[in-house]
Amino acid sequence: MQQAPPDRPFSRGWTVLQTGLALLLWGALVVWLGWLILREIDDYSTANSDNLQWSLSQADVEFLQFRLALEKLETSRGGLDTLRERFDIFYSRMDRMSSGRLFRSLPHTDRFTAPRQQIQSFLDETVPLIDGSDTALIAARPQLIARADAVEKHVRAFSLVALGAFAEVSDKRRDSISRLMIYMATGLMALFLGLTLLAFTLFRLFRLARKRADEVQAAGARMQTIVETSPNAIIVTDETGTIHQFNAAAERIFGYRREEACGRVARDFLIPQEDRDALDHGVFAFAEERRRPLPEERHFETVLEARGGRRFPAELSVDRAEAEHPLYVAYIRDITKWKEAEAQLTVARDRALAGERTKSEFLAVMSHEMRTPLNGLLGTMQLMRDHSLTERQTDLLDRMQSSGRLLLDLVNDVLDLAKFEAGKMQATSEPFSLPRLLEGVVQTAQPLADTYHNDLRWRWIGPPGEGVIGDARRLRQVLLNLIGNALKFTRNGTVEIEAEYLDPDRSEIELRVIDSGIGIAEADLPRIFKDFETLDSSYARETGGTGLGLGIAKRFTRLMGGEIGAESEPGEGSLFWIRLPLAPAPDFSAPAAQAPQQSTGPARALDVLVVEDNEINRFILREMLGAAGHRVTLAENGRVGVDRAAIERFDVILMDISMPVMDGRTATRHIRQGGGTSAETPIIALTAHAFPEEWAQFHEDGMTACLTKPVDRALLMQAIADALAGTETVSNPVAPGPGEDALIDETLLAQLLADLPKSAVDALLARFLDEMERDIALLAQSEPDAPGLAPLAHRCAGSSGTFGAEAMRVALLRIEAAHKSGNHPDRSQLHGLSDLWRRSRAALMARLSLPAG
Amino acid sequence: MPFLSLLCRSLLVFLSLALPLSAAELPAPAGPPLLTVTGQITRTNDGDSARFDRAMLEAMTQTSFTTRTIWTDGEQRFTGVALHDLLAALGATGSTIRATAINDYAVDIPREDWETGAPIIAHSNNGRPMSLRDKGPLWIIYPYDSDRAYQSEQVYARSIWQLDRINVME
Repeated sequence: MQQAPPDRPFSRGWTVLQTGLALLLWGALVVWLGWLILREIDDYSTANSDNLQWSLSQADVEFLQFRLALEKLETSRGGLDTLRERFDIFYSRMDRMSSGRLFRSLPHTDRFTAPRQQIQSFLDETVPLIDGSDTALIAARPQLIARADAVEKHVRAFSLVALGAFAEVSDKRRDSISRLMIYMATGLMALFLGLTLLAFTLFRLFRLARKRADEVQAAGARMQTIVETSPNAIIVTDETGTIHQFNAAAERIFGYRREEACGRVARDFLIPQEDRDALDHGVFAFAEERRRPLPEERHFETVLEARGGRRFPAELSVDRAEAEHPLYVAYIRDITKWKEAEAQLTVARDRALAGERTKSEFLAVMSHEMRTPLNGLLGTMQLMRDHSLTERQTDLLDRMQSSGRLLLDLVNDVLDLAKFEAGKMQATSEPFSLPRLLEGVVQTAQPLADTYHNDLRWRWIGPPGEGVIGDARRLRQVLLNLIGNALKFTRNGTVEIEAEYLDPDRSEIELRVIDSGIGIAEADLPRIFKDFETLDSSYARETGGTGLGLGIAKRFTRLMGGEIGAESEPGEGSLFWIRLPLAPAPDFSAPAAQAPQQSTGPARALDVLVVEDNEINRFILREMLGAAGHRVTLAENGRVGVDRAAIERFDVILMDISMPVMDGRTATRHIRQGGGTSAETPIIALTAHAFPEEWAQFHEDGMTACLTKPVDRALLMQAIADALAGTETVSNPVAPGPGEDALIDETLLAQLLADLPKSAVDALLARFLDEMERDIALLAQSEPDAPGLAPLAHRCAGSSGTFGAEAMRVALLRIEAAHKSGNHPDRSQLHGLSDLWRRSRAALMARLSLPAG
Repeated sequence: MPFLSLLCRSLLVFLSLALPLSAAELPAPAGPPLLTVTGQITRTNDGDSARFDRAMLEAMTQTSFTTRTIWTDGEQRFTGVALHDLLAALGATGSTIRATAINDYAVDIPREDWETGAPIIAHSNNGRPMSLRDKGPLWIIYPYDSDRAYQSEQVYARSIWQLDRINVME
């Protein structure tokens, strides 16, 4: 497209003005010249003299006639009259020559006036003679002749001079006229040129205008083509909504022909009836208000109506072209198919998601279901060891148990993975002691370390830390995985765990597991964190493994907001590190290290109700509990369990969660609310589900503790002991004070939990536990009359009250009151505090879903 | 306005025509004759010609006007007999007259000229008779100032002075 020259209206106007002025000037000049010429012509049209040449020659002639009359005076009759007449005629001639316009136009030079005066003096001298008597005239004839002869040459000279003068005057006049004519011609030429220029300019303007018009037409045609070829309907309306343009796509979409649509108001037939009435608040509000749509009002989706009432979803893009007559331009797309496709996609996506979820759930269920028989196998194997076996049998049993544990690890890993993929896994954030966690991890892994003759230990690098807030369970799992790997690939070496804070604020910690084992080739490093990756090594084959461990470790680390990585030098060893944001728990100091109470069951035999649908599990539990000297009652589902608990008093109830007829949670609620003999009995949940939120629900149902299946004998004994510690008081008269005093005041504790953020509660709890542990020990060993007993008891009572440890508080206040009244408390009262605290603590921990140990 | 003035003059001529002329025989001049008219005329007083002395001319209808001429200085008042009146009085029928001066200068004047009534045969200038030396005694004068059309060389040529003969031609 040719670039149009930029418009310069000002300069163009200026040029036109200049041209106009110039033409006006030329016009004025020509008019003036014309006027001059007209005047000249006018002058010419009136003659200011009669024939000069005639007059002059006549002067000569008449003088000669006078001279002739003078000659003939004597010879002719009447000669005197003739003479007088001739004289008068000549006189008249000369008189006429010396007066009037004619004479004045002659130059009065000496050459002219001298002969004139000569003639005049001749005439003046002669007049007396002519007018005198005949006699005198006749007598004067010779004298007259002489005079006439003398004056003749002057008459001649006069004529010649006058002729010459006239010729000059004539020439001058002719010159002036011709000059005028030249001026006129020049002016006319200039005018002609100016007009030519003007005509040329006008021609150019005309051509420019025509070019512009062509361009406008071309642009219009182009625009028309664009509008017509648009796949979207394009509708142009004026401010009132009257349609001005309706393109081909609009005809196709709406089903109206252009002629039908143009001139009609768009609102009246393109918008569904019910929307017309509500337009004030609809998407077309801007049109009603006759303004430009706001940017967010220009694109929207709505429902429009086509011919025959067919309604379709449409996507609109509208704007207003501001002009003298504003226009609304709307691009309309029929998005029916798009909407359908969207709906189909949504359905497909939902199906896919549901499928994915089903798959994860299937995996989780399968893992869970696989654990139950596995649990049976492992438990049975453990029971077999209680019988006398040959060395060969023991050896076979070891192998079976080893394979069974490997299988269990695999199932557990897959379950973790499935839970993680199902998105059901969330990192918890609770205060715990990092040194204790590491200590526990080392203890747990010690047997494996011994197996491969490895030295396993942990230590701080830099300043040591204590309490932190985080997910202890996941961290433990990750560390155990890393340590397990390190131990498996090291023989007769060392595996060391280093803990180091990375910043002075102690907000991020790095834990390193360093071994002196075989190491990993650099090429293998990137893939070790992938799922199902096992490096082909003799150790790996020897030790086995699912290849999921590091993948899960990586997921858990990420879940906790940290990173995991490895460095290695083949033959030198490997270093696995994790970096975690673990905020320090304020004022957290480690409770006095508790000696592990493994396998230390309660001294007395208990009545235990086992509610479990799985026969094998029932069998194993009965065997385990029986071996520990407890009396076991079995129930195969929740309903049976509830019935038994109602009529019989048990010390502990083990409750499976998933059961036919009635599940564990319902059964627990029935037992608690039923008011039966075992309504207050501690209930320990047995479940494969291990989600924290489920734990909380179990506790709401009234469960005391929770154990994850497959059940470990040691953990089971510990849980029973803990549960009993928390609940024995209910029916035990040993407890000081009235039996109705609950260990924990739920209302108070709930209030505290509602009032404070969890982190604060955690910190406070840690401190409370710490103080009470120390103070109660102190109180229990004090002499009844020891000074400072009352204030200490008072302080402890206050702390207990805060956490709702109502029984504890009442006991302490009683001691305080006794001390103050002078009646020293009983020594047994003081000793009882220790036991009461242990139970209160267990109850509190259970209530707060914290691991009792 | 030449047409308007022409109209006025025609009206004037018409009025003058309405005056009854003496149908009697043209009287013979008593004094020296100043003008002799010959040719196509019906009234004569000397054979085929009609002669006029000053008294006869002065006795006819007089026409006067003031005008400037190219031969004189300043405005002049001329008095005389309109050429039309004179020719009408003589029953002239020709289409042209030949006017001849004492010095034998002669010029033809067409009928349309005198029919306008404009040219007069002046015998007095500013109330005084004109002498031969002063272009007299008779001078055909047009009212030059009244119409630019009279300011032409042709009219100037027809303004014959020292007039003494008129021949009315076919």
